[in-house]
Amino acid sequence: MRINTTRFGRIDIEADDVLHFISGLPGLEDCREWALLADSTNDALGWLQSTTRCDVALAVVCPRRFVPDYQVRIPRSELTPLAMRNVQDAQLLVIVARHGKNLTLNLKAPIVINVEARTGRQVVASGDLPMNYELIHERPPLKKSA
Amino acid sequence: MLVLSRQRDESIMIGDNIVVTIVDIRGDKVRLGINAPSEVPVHRQEVYEAIQRENLRASRLDPDETRDIGKLAGRRPMPGGDGPRR
Repeated sequence: MRINTTRFGRIDIEADDVLHFISGLPGLEDCREWALLADSTNDALGWLQSTTRCDVALAVVCPRRFVPDYQVRIPRSELTPLAMRNVQDAQLLVIVARHGKNLTLNLKAPIVINVEARTGRQVVASGDLPMNYELIHERPPLKKSA
Repeated sequence: MLVLSRQRDESIMIGDNIVVTIVDIRGDKVRLGINAPSEVPVHRQEVYEAIQRENLRASRLDPDETRDIGKLAGRRPMPGGDGPRR
């Protein structure tokens, strides 16, 4: 199927690749169908593009690429609507936003995808996790002065 | 807004499959128990609203703004979640 997007122009996707978010996302409740696009210039990033609203897309990353010790506890009630018993079968992504000059990751409300069933949901993880975790340029290691 | 008075252990039904029960009342804090189908998300309102705002902010992001993301790292060690891990 062909969809129009404001960021990427017209793109072709397989109907089988569409992800179904039965409840949409908070703030985007009417967006129930999404396509996960790879960014051709950037392997650290993907884009979740709404197939029904051409202007709506969310930058997403694998959280552990940026936060190696990212651990989440997801209540079972959040996984049941995905027809998923085992959180190990899930693909976990977090949404990128910008606050001021910094890009941030929403570690509190990751996106869980049941890859086989092609379903997805934004869940609220337990615990004190930041909703806008800042990403910064890596500092070069300090050198000892002579 | 519909306002109802309830005492401890009393309940309210919303629709035909959501039940809210007053589990405990202590001082100015009320503990609520919620029985709802698993596909209905239930959250503290301020958390839900914060996620809404964050999603809307994120939906305005343009690919140009994310070009350098591969060069970035987390600012600090992440505060922990709790319980068993994924």
